[in-house]
Parts: sequence; C-alpha cells; structure tokens
Amino acid sequence: MSTRAGDRPTGIPGKALIWLMAGFALLLIPQWDRLPPWLLGACVVLASWRWVVQQGYMRMPSRWLRYALMFGLLGFYVATVQGRFTVDTAASFFVLALGLKWMETRTARDFYVLFFILIYLSAVNFLFVTSLAWTVLNLAGVLILLVSLQVLNAPDQPAPVRQGARRLGWMMLKTLPVVILLFVFFPRMAPLWSVPMVSGQATTGITDSMEPGSISDLAQSSARAFRVTFGGDIPPYPERYWRGLILDRFDGRRWTQSEAPPSGRAAPVAIDGGVGVLEAGQYDVLQEPTFQRWAFALADSMPVSDNIVETPDNLFRFRRPADSSVRYRLALSSTPGDWLTELSADDRRRYLQLPVEGNPRARELAAELRGRYESPRGVVDSLMRRFREQPYFYTLRPPAMTDNHVDRLLFDDRRGFCAHYASATAFVLRAAGIPARVVAGYHGGSAGANNAYLIIRQYDAHAWVEVWLDGRWHRIDPTGQIAPERIESGLRDAMAAEGSFLANAWASPERYQNIPMVRWVSLQVDRLNYNWQRWVVGYQGQSQLDLMSRLGNRMSLAQLGYLTAGVVGGALLIAGLVSLSAQYRRRHRDPVMVQLQRWQRLLAKAGLPVIAGETPAATAARAADCWPECASDLEAFARLVNRHYYQSANKQDLLTLSALNKRIKTQMKAATRNRGARIGETMT
Amino acid sequence: MYARLSEYWSRWLDRRIPRNDRARLSQRNLFILPTSAGVVFGLLLLITLITGINYQNSLILLLTFFLGAVFVAAMHQTHSNLSGVEFTLVSAGEGFAGEAIPFVVRATSPDHEAIALTLVAADGSPVTASIKAGEYQDVTLLRSARQRGYVSLGDVRVETRFPFGLLKAWSWVRPGTLGIVYPKPIAPPYAPVALEGGTEDSQALVSLGQDHAELRPWREGDMSQRVLWKRFARTGDMVIADWQGEAGNPEWFDYDAYPGADRELRLSYLAAAITERAGANPPVPYGLRLPGLDIAPDSGKLHEAVCLRALATFGLTPGERV
Repeated sequence: MSTRAGDRPTGIPGKALIWLMAGFALLLIPQWDRLPPWLLGACVVLASWRWVVQQGYMRMPSRWLRYALMFGLLGFYVATVQGRFTVDTAASFFVLALGLKWMETRTARDFYVLFFILIYLSAVNFLFVTSLAWTVLNLAGVLILLVSLQVLNAPDQPAPVRQGARRLGWMMLKTLPVVILLFVFFPRMAPLWSVPMVSGQATTGITDSMEPGSISDLAQSSARAFRVTFGGDIPPYPERYWRGLILDRFDGRRWTQSEAPPSGRAAPVAIDGGVGVLEAGQYDVLQEPTFQRWAFALADSMPVSDNIVETPDNLFRFRRPADSSVRYRLALSSTPGDWLTELSADDRRRYLQLPVEGNPRARELAAELRGRYESPRGVVDSLMRRFREQPYFYTLRPPAMTDNHVDRLLFDDRRGFCAHYASATAFVLRAAGIPARVVAGYHGGSAGANNAYLIIRQYDAHAWVEVWLDGRWHRIDPTGQIAPERIESGLRDAMAAEGSFLANAWASPERYQNIPMVRWVSLQVDRLNYNWQRWVVGYQGQSQLDLMSRLGNRMSLAQLGYLTAGVVGGALLIAGLVSLSAQYRRRHRDPVMVQLQRWQRLLAKAGLPVIAGETPAATAARAADCWPECASDLEAFARLVNRHYYQSANKQDLLTLSALNKRIKTQMKAATRNRGARIGETMT
Repeated sequence: MYARLSEYWSRWLDRRIPRNDRARLSQRNLFILPTSAGVVFGLLLLITLITGINYQNSLILLLTFFLGAVFVAAMHQTHSNLSGVEFTLVSAGEGFAGEAIPFVVRATSPDHEAIALTLVAADGSPVTASIKAGEYQDVTLLRSARQRGYVSLGDVRVETRFPFGLLKAWSWVRPGTLGIVYPKPIAPPYAPVALEGGTEDSQALVSLGQDHAELRPWREGDMSQRVLWKRFARTGDMVIADWQGEAGNPEWFDYDAYPGADRELRLSYLAAAITERAGANPPVPYGLRLPGLDIAPDSGKLHEAVCLRALATFGLTPGERV
C-alpha cells in the first residue's frame, strides 16, 4: 500500500453520498421530458440500490451482474437511439453512464468521477433550458454537488452540510464581482464547429401544414410563442397579424407549402438579434424555440438584424432552425405593398391550384359568385358578406368533418374555427379564379407588465387568407366577419359564451387572468424571464460589442480577450493581496500577545529560551532564579498575562505590560553590567 | 543525476524549512498544487468553456466562470486552512528495534479552524486531525525502527485537501529531537559466563547495607527475626529479607558475559536479560555493566529505561546510526 495521503482507499461517508444523489436528482429534472422513461427509471433504481448498499442491507453487485446491467442498458440505448447522433442523444447517453456509475461508486475517486459527470450534466442542461427558474434549479444542483464534496473531505465535522453551505456562500459572495466581469467581458466568439441539437422534437406551435382542427388544438395551449418590444407605439389589436408561413397547396384535406423548404443543416441558430436603441417603427421579437426556420413578423416588415432573411413573399426565415430562444429585429416599412405588381404565370397557377374534384357545392357557389360580379373584389366582398350575415358560428368545438369539409362547413354545419373558415374562403376564391393563399401565424397578443411589450401565446395562433387584387396581395379574414371579438380583443372574449377557452389547461395561470393577483404575479414573472432571456441568455456577439461600445470605444474580440485576461489577473492579484494582509493582521492582531512575545524574545536573548508549552509563570520562575534583581517584575508580568487571558481583561493591561517589559529590559542590562563588573573585581 | 537532484532538493529543503521541534506554517514554507482531481476539474472547465462558446450559450459560460472562481476561492481556502497552524514535537518516543516508535506532535491552530489535516511520517500511515480555533490536538505518529540507536521522526508531511479535494496544500514538519531505539531483545542461547572481577564488586556492594537484599515470601523454617514485621503491620504480608542467600547478590548484567557474540548481539542479549528481570515480581534489583559505563543495581521502571537507553546509545553519538 502506498503511504501518500490521497491514495488510501476510503469509504464514502453516507452523508456525502446522499447529497450527491440529491444533486443528481435535481439535475435530472430539466431532462425528464426529453429522456426515455426506462432510462429515468433505471437511474432511480440504480441510485436507490447504491443507497441501500450504503445502509448495509445489500452488497454491491458482483462484476458479472454489473456487466450484465451495463450491456443490457447499453443495448436498450442503442436500440432507442437508432444511430442518430445529436446533442439530445449524447445527453441521454450521459445520463445512462451516470446511472451505471452509481453501481461502481466505492471510493473517493469514483465519487469524483460522478461529481465531474454531474457538473457536465448541469452544463448540458443549459443547452435545453434557459429560463430563470430552470437556471436557479440547475445552479442549486451544482451548489449541492459542491457541498457534498466538502462533506466528503471533512466527514468528521459537526454539521458538515450547514458549514459547507455557509462556506460556499461566502466563496460565492467574494467571487461574484469577478464572475460578473468575466461574463461581461469574455469575448463571444463564433462557434468552432456545430452539432445538431436535437433529433426531431415535438413542440407546440404552428407546423408547416394545416388541416381542419390543427389550430384549434393550439388554442388549448397557453405556452408562450414569442414576445415583442416595439420601438414606437404598439399597433392596435386588430392590426396585429403575425405572419409565419404561406400555405398554398390544397389536396382536398390539408394545406401545405408547395415549395419544399430549403434544408438547412440543423445547428444552433444565431440568437443575436441586433443592437442599439430600438427606433420608432422597429420591433424586437424574442421567439421561443420552434425547431423550425420561420420567424413571425407583421406584414410589410424589413429585416434589421442579420440572423433573418426575407423571402419573396415578405416572410422571414432563420438561416437555421431555431433550436433555442432567438431574438431578431425588424422594421415596419413606410411604403407598403409594392414588392410585386404582376403575378407570373407560374405563380398564378400556384395560387389557383385545387384538387380535381371534391366539394362540388362550394365550386357551384364560386361559379355563381363569379357570374354575378364583374370584378374579383365583388366576389371577395360578397363572400365576406355571406360569412357576416348568414348564421355562421365561431367555435373551438367544431363537429368532426371528414370528406368535402369545405361544403359541410359552408352549407351544413356552419360551425368552425379560423382554420376551417380560412380554408373554405381560399377554396371558394380559387374556384372562382381569384389567386388566394392561406397564411398561418398568430394574431393579437396581450400586454406584458407595464405595457412594455407584447406576449403572444399559442392560443393566439390564427389562420387567414391573402387574396390577389389589383396587383397586390390583400389580407382578408373570414374569422373577423363571424366573430369580431376574436379580432378586436382575442380568443378569450370570443369564447366567453362557449366557455371553452383553455378548458383543458386548468393549471395555466392564463386561465385565471380575471383574478388580479394571479394576473399581476404571472405578468411580473414573465417580465423577469423576458429580461433574463434578453440580457443574460441573449448576451452574445453583437449585444456584447454594443455594450462595449456604449461603455467606451468600440473593441475587437481580441481586445476583449486581453481585457478578460486583465480581469482574471487583477482578481488573482487582489485576492492574493487581501489574503496576505489578512495574514499580517492575524499575526499582529493581539497586542497583548505581541507584548508576551517581546518578553519571551527578551529572555531568549538573555540566554533563557522559552521551553515549548511552558506557561509564562513557569518561565518567570526560571528567569527569577537567574535574575533575582527583576524577579518581582517578571512575576508581575506573568501574573498579568494570566489574568488578562483567563480572568478579566483590562484596558490598562497593555500599557502596564509594555512598561514592565521596558523596566525588565533595563534591569537586566544593569544586572549584566553589574555582574560583569563583579567578575572583573574577582579577577583582579 | 537523480542523486544530485535529490541532494540539491534536500539542501534546498533544509534552507527553506530548517529542522526544528516547533514549526509554524506560513506562506514561506507552504506549497500548494492541484490534486489529480483538481487537474481533471480544470480540464472539465475547459470543456464546458468550449461547449459554451460552441453553442453560444451564455449560461454555460456563466457556469464555467462560476466554477472557475470557486476553484480560485478554494485555493485560498485550502492555503489558509493550513497557514498559521503550529506543530510542536511534544515527546520523542522510545521503543525496541523492530517496533514502531511513537512521536507525539501537538498541532495548534491559534486563530482559525483547521479542518481535515493529514499528517504522514516518512513511513507511517496517515493520521488526520481537525483543530478548532485556539485549540490544539495531539497526534501520535509512528516511526518504524529496525536498528537500535537514535531515530529521527524524519520529514512529516502535513497536508490538507479541504474543502473540495481539488487542491492540496502541504508542508513538512521536521522535528530535530531524536527518539531512542532499544536493541531488539534476543534471549541468549547459553547462560552468561560468571566473571571473577564482577563478584568482588558485588560482594562489596551487598555489604553496604540492606538496600539490595532480596525479599521473598515467608516459608516454613524461616526465623522470626528475619520477618519484616513493619511491613507485616502495613500490608499483612509475611516477607523475609534474605540478604545472606545467593539471591542477595544483586545480579550484574555484563557486556563481557557473552564471549564470542558481536557487539549488537551482546546488546540484544543484555536487553533481553533486562526486560526479563524488570518483569519479575517481586522486583529484583540488577545492574548493568558496559565497557566504560556501570549502572548501579536498582529496580523499577525508571531504572529499566536508563539501562535500555544505555544499551540503545552505546557507542553512538546523537544522530549517528549504527
């Protein structure tokens, strides 16, 4: 066996282990909806097994059992992953390795291996979750890990957990300024290489196809879609149409995009949304991850930030699918609608496309309208009038429609949601020979705290129609004809009578907005999160350079790098100086001790070194034998020191001690001189 | 090459940390380096930093900076945990060759709590100690000794890895006072040779008085004048002072009584004789005669120690090895 202190095999104290497990549990929570359930189950079982072993009820599994477990779970993993390599699958492999490691955690070394993997897991968690609450939870997990390390290293301390937590708190407090400076100044470089984040993620949000019912499903979700800050005034509610994508191909049942979306390699999207003061007419959108490339924008916008590009249809696209929350900036164009004047023959065909057969009654209606009105505008107006004047109903609970759903909506059921009406309108217009297309996106949005920004939620999802009239596209919204409240003030009011607003989302605070307290709290929480996302999570690239240029002159990344190195160096220097001065002060803190040491040095110089562990009284007695001349002073000194430390300390003690020291010194000198004289006498 | 390096190292260490029974740790004599776990932690931070850069994830960068700052804070914590602690050699031990010689070191922390210190003697197993502010703790360190003579505790490595085990601060405590190793007792294969010169001396000593008389329990036939009645009154034991019999002659253990054996073996034989006699109950006085040194017959623990020390250091000056 080696004799070095760290190499000896050590058992792991149970308290350290249970806190490590607590950290593990906390850090798994952000992963729970992404991980396959069998993996979560395996982790829980393996960790509990290790705990039971710690309690002494079971043994560690034998090597063969361990191998069997390992290969079994690995096989399971390989089968579920099926050869995809993304950050997502890597993260679950990570968790698998963690679970298996519990079975081999015997020594402090294994404990450290687990600690390191868990620290990295917390970093991986930040790839998937970035909101304030998740950040706090994740950091709490890391803190618990650090506490468990302290317990491991000092298991015999009383209350090691509380002590460790307090110590850690102090460390954090002391290092906080440096951490903040580093965060601000560390140069945000471009990615070195890219790995796709996720393999096919199911999220709520608008998809690239629309069938009857697809948007009314979204209406049950109060999840946030995006938030918008306006540089100028917020547009009135009815004008807030957030265009996302254009659906121009109808197969009798569903609307899709005719152009195959360009396949961008999946990689992190640039989340840097431009900088500087938001001017009037500009707006910032902070969009939640959609894992799609489309960005939502008002009509007649122009891109300002360079992480989005405009398509010919005045839509906006990210260069890569948005796998994290992403901020982008747009400006409203002052001269709207002149981006096209003539439809090409191809486009004309494209926007008039219809299936060969189906919905005969709707086609009849189209023919009749076309015959009755000269201009396409007359057809459009008449169709809108029909929706307004005839008994059509806007409902979240439409009847199931299978074949010929346009016919059934228009002539039989007359009950539907925005997607149904948009689909029917586009169908009739196309059948009447007027180019039309369905637009999917959001409409409306509620004000955030202090009216500072808009929050657009999934239930704001909407579908409407654009129709080609007089050389440009016009927006028409059949929903507005049937349920004006939806367009004036939102779905909540539109569904007030039916009572179906968020009927299934009973836990959503959005459902209880009529209670002022709930409303206030949820708005404040949202504002906190919004600022967190904008200023901390979104602090990248341009935002950093912008902040730097506001602080002083414009800086390059290299200069920022030097600055960062300067921050680190300066912090280390300051820390060193502080600890040196603390040491100095510690040594010179107790003036009485200083006097005692001076006294001892005096005696030592006179040839009477203090014996280790000797009390001052004993030293004084010994010294008195050698110098009877100053015996009384020596004893008085020792007595005073004793009284000072063990009975009662006086303010005068210090003065008396120093006076005594001086007197002893002179007396000793005199005594030595006398003795020398006496020796001289005897010599002669 | 290695020899020169280690020579240089020990000279440097002597300069930096002189041998002293009392040592106070300060930044002058404290060293600090990351442990292997600390090195791995550093690599881990590098990896998280690259992850943060690559995925343009501010929160991962924040986590990295936080952990890096904690690492630096831990460096100060680890250093100050050991700094200011005083180590004093309280007692240098004695024992037989082949046994572990105990040295007691007192660790005092005058002004702060010193947690989870580990002390390791050159070839001993580690001992841990935690000291509250202003208190002390005595730590017994064992030094195995093969040969009789003086033994130094050697360099005691004082180490702490508190709080996270990612860094180790260490120093050496190098007490100067030597422990004493008695010869390993070996029972002689033959009886010691009686020596002429010795008997005369012992006769003379016996005649000096009753001090060296042998005491033995009363048995039938003993004359009542020879019973120690005072002792009987005190303890109730009938004890005979037998200073006329052959046992009344205090036995001398003589270096010269083992012809043919070499020096170390003779000392071992003598050590065996002394420990055997010292264990006798009732005590029997004995004396030790070494070339150039006579220890008058006596009994008791102190006498035993004096004799064994004489054997241990026979022919040696302090610090010299056999």
